[in-house]
Amino acid sequence: MTYRWDFTPLLDNWQALAMGAVGTLRLFAVCLVLGLGFGLVVALARRSRWRAARWFSIGFIEFFRNTPVLVQILWFYFALPMLVPVEITPFTAAILGISLNSAAYSAEIYRAGIQSIEPGQWEAARAIGMSGLQTLRRIVLPQALRRVLPALTNRGIEIFKMTTLASVVAYIELLHQGRLIASLNFNPLEVYSVIGALFFLFLYPLVRATYALERRLARSD
Amino acid sequence: MYNWDFTPIWANGDLLLAGLGNTLALTVVALAGGLPVGLALALARLSGSRLLAAPAGLVIEVFRTTPPLVQLFWFYFGLPIILKVEMTPYLAAALTFTIQSGAFFAEIFRAGIVSVEKGQGEAARAIGMSKAQAMRRIILPQAVKRMFPAMMERSIELMKTTTLVATVSYADLLYQANELAQKTFRPLEVFTAAALLYFLVITLVSMLGALVERRMAQSGEMAR
Repeated sequence: MTYRWDFTPLLDNWQALAMGAVGTLRLFAVCLVLGLGFGLVVALARRSRWRAARWFSIGFIEFFRNTPVLVQILWFYFALPMLVPVEITPFTAAILGISLNSAAYSAEIYRAGIQSIEPGQWEAARAIGMSGLQTLRRIVLPQALRRVLPALTNRGIEIFKMTTLASVVAYIELLHQGRLIASLNFNPLEVYSVIGALFFLFLYPLVRATYALERRLARSD
Repeated sequence: MYNWDFTPIWANGDLLLAGLGNTLALTVVALAGGLPVGLALALARLSGSRLLAAPAGLVIEVFRTTPPLVQLFWFYFGLPIILKVEMTPYLAAALTFTIQSGAFFAEIFRAGIVSVEKGQGEAARAIGMSKAQAMRRIILPQAVKRMFPAMMERSIELMKTTTLVATVSYADLLYQANELAQKTFRPLEVFTAAALLYFLVITLVSMLGALVERRMAQSGEMAR
């Protein structure tokens, strides 16, 4: 006998799923802005003329790239409150883990982009009297960011997938809500198929768009 | 000021090490399964036959664009309902990570194979090799060399992703750390120690990879 799929409990609980979707989008938006933003700061610190800033940046990147993001989230959730007398909510722990992890990855992307700009451009900008910061802002970064846009979009997609890890510390997002529905209705097959499909339908157009962007940039460069 | 106390960790070090052993075992199994799956998917996608390319493409895209934790839950909680078999955390984890890393490896294989000049395959065919022979003897050996850095990076990603199995109670390093933290009421020390262990192992693996990469680059120079 084949299994009979039944999606009615899912349809009945669409409000719970919608609540989860809102939680997913909220976490994604915060981590995208913080992760990609702080990543740029770390990348610039790595080029700083102060040795302490460079060392901090290298240590930060190596540590956060070479440990699993789930360990980072659990560390912020269970371990950090022992050190500092503040309450860490699941939302805060997820933001800290995912944003810092993504910052370390995106810092390396920005660095590659900045390095790809010919040294002659720095020299030319200095020659016409721009300061280092002005050169960075007006000449180097606009070109570098354009070149790394596909890599940054990929990072964004990774961040979106990573938000599901917040369910482990009981943050209310799509997967957490799915788990709840599955345990109440004994329908894990339907639930996880639908959750997977939702992620795929949302992310796949972005993946295609990134491919197209890559091809366009490759042609114009 | 918090008083750090690592004695409970030293006393239970064997638990954490057993967890690390399970993490490494799962990574090796997923690698051993993922590489052939990836090669098969890549060859199917490049085969030129739509009957093979379309399903391979679908598997690759689905496993690359959905969250790994959703995949794991699907294999652990969902699949047994269709197959009517009992699913263990280990089996679900091995299946998920074999197919998932296979999907990622497939794209690396594909890029490597496409990067070998077309003329080489044609030359091999011209001297009488079959398509399969040309792929095995001429194209793949060169492609694999070029793919090595990407393969290495993906394998390290895989090792980090295996932490998700702690959520289905497979006794990997993270799971053991979580148990220990609850038992000793020392989450700070336990999770810090676990993070450091991961950091050490992953740094070591990536340094080894960089070493092999340099060696291969040197031997490539000499061959030329």
